[in-house]
Amino acid sequence: MIRSWKLWVLLAVVAASCCLPLLVQNDYQMQVVFRIALFAALGLAWNLVGGYAGQLSLGHVAFFGVGAYGLALFTSHSVPKWISIFLAAIVAVIFAEIIGRIVFRLRGPYFTLATIAFAEVLRLTATNLKITEGAIGLPTPALFTGPSFWRLFYFSAVALAVIAFLVNGWVSRSRFGYYLMAIREDEETASAVGIDTPRYKLRSLLISAFLTALGGALYGSAFQYIVPDNVLTIDVSLQIAIITMLGGAGTLLGPVVGAVLLMSASELFKNQFQESHLLIYGILIVVVVLFLPEGIMGGLQQLFRWRKKPETARAAS
Amino acid sequence: MTAVLELRNIAKRFGGLRAVKSVSFEMNAGEILFIIGPNGAGKTTVFNLISGFLHPDEGSILFNGKDISRLAPHHNARLGIGRTFQIVKPLKNLTVLQNVMLGAFMHTGRLQQAEAEAGRILDFLQMSHWKDLPAHGLPLAALKRLEIARALATKPKLVLLDEVVSGLTPGEALALAGLVKRLPEWGVSVVGGVEHVMQVVMKIADRIVVLDYGAKIAEGKPAEVVSLPVVIEAYLGAKYKELPK
Repeated sequence: MIRSWKLWVLLAVVAASCCLPLLVQNDYQMQVVFRIALFAALGLAWNLVGGYAGQLSLGHVAFFGVGAYGLALFTSHSVPKWISIFLAAIVAVIFAEIIGRIVFRLRGPYFTLATIAFAEVLRLTATNLKITEGAIGLPTPALFTGPSFWRLFYFSAVALAVIAFLVNGWVSRSRFGYYLMAIREDEETASAVGIDTPRYKLRSLLISAFLTALGGALYGSAFQYIVPDNVLTIDVSLQIAIITMLGGAGTLLGPVVGAVLLMSASELFKNQFQESHLLIYGILIVVVVLFLPEGIMGGLQQLFRWRKKPETARAAS
Repeated sequence: MTAVLELRNIAKRFGGLRAVKSVSFEMNAGEILFIIGPNGAGKTTVFNLISGFLHPDEGSILFNGKDISRLAPHHNARLGIGRTFQIVKPLKNLTVLQNVMLGAFMHTGRLQQAEAEAGRILDFLQMSHWKDLPAHGLPLAALKRLEIARALATKPKLVLLDEVVSGLTPGEALALAGLVKRLPEWGVSVVGGVEHVMQVVMKIADRIVVLDYGAKIAEGKPAEVVSLPVVIEAYLGAKYKELPK
């Protein structure tokens, strides 16, 4: 449930992100904060499926890639840039509908493997098709130009993150969200209280795919050139999932916290330790998984709950 | 008058095992019917067939006169068949109240309304003091009640209570049985399933169906059924059926 303090946190985070460009000194740093904001948005989008509904998708790069490629292909057929972005997102939703109908028949690890397979099929398709120029890739139009290029991209990513956050907020206190959580906890129980589980899983995926594709288009546009090994690689899927799980899957602020911590940590380590930064990244993940299995926000939430109601806890035991 | 529930020659096989063999019975509105039988008699299979988690190989199941034998579980739930699970299945990371709200969401999309409805049911089942606790870590007696509460929140016309008192102390079992007996006040008919807690069954059942090796071997009022030789044989073995009581 969104309590008022959460609204304040949201406002504070938004205010902080608006002030952030004042502290940033160069384009490189601006690009880093753009990526942080973008991955916060992607994490929030993934959170609907992977967090609330508990379906561990490692194929979200498919929607990310469809967003980026969609933007490139639609604009090359002289569709206006901003309309192309939305068309690309709608194509991603259609993809999600097709993929979801198949993969949601599977559960647990089989579901996860199927999502990976679908994303790989897309990557191989893009690598081999003429229309996508194969491994050479496609140029993507820049949505913004001029000296404040990165700043504008950064603000678009923040806007996307805010939209994704509001969607998450609505889900967390709606019947839809309760149904997703029920599916996460136990699908049989969920169907015993009348929940059509495949339908609700699919719905969460459609919303998630739409937002993820917008993120992909933004990414493609910011770097102005896309290749399959960049916007359709499993690395992106993993990064989105890890950010959310580390921050706390199924919590409102988890993806944001995860994106800020992980992206800035990996950027710092990259500069400090060059190649060994992946090692440190890995160790960080192991530590959090061992000591905070529900992620940072999940862990804090539990601590808070435990502090708040010790007397009722004792009464029950 | 049509029966609330009618099973007509239901049969179910799992590979070579005939788990349920041509079972028929019917029940009327407001009735409390218990299916009893030794371990492996097919009780849980019957519950899974009625609630749509399994589909019968033969025969049909009518609910308020409508054939439901091929419907999916969520469909059956929406028609008004609530169920509990033998091995309790709480939504562990949700609170007790949220667990029950899930049932209530079948009839309302509004959180406050679902909360109020869930609160009413928790009051009835005398578990309001647990409502803000997460469902994991609750004692079994509370989890059994939670199963009933969640099913009741969907406003069912029929609830299936699979092994609702198994694993409880005699005191807990009797307290829960008292609540089950009051379920018809909510407009609910009850099919219960019990392996051997006969004390409870005798107290609250209007009628008993006895299963053994997947077949119905007896049906009738509790007092009549338990004295039938064929029932005693199923439970204790052939050599006890001649013993004087």
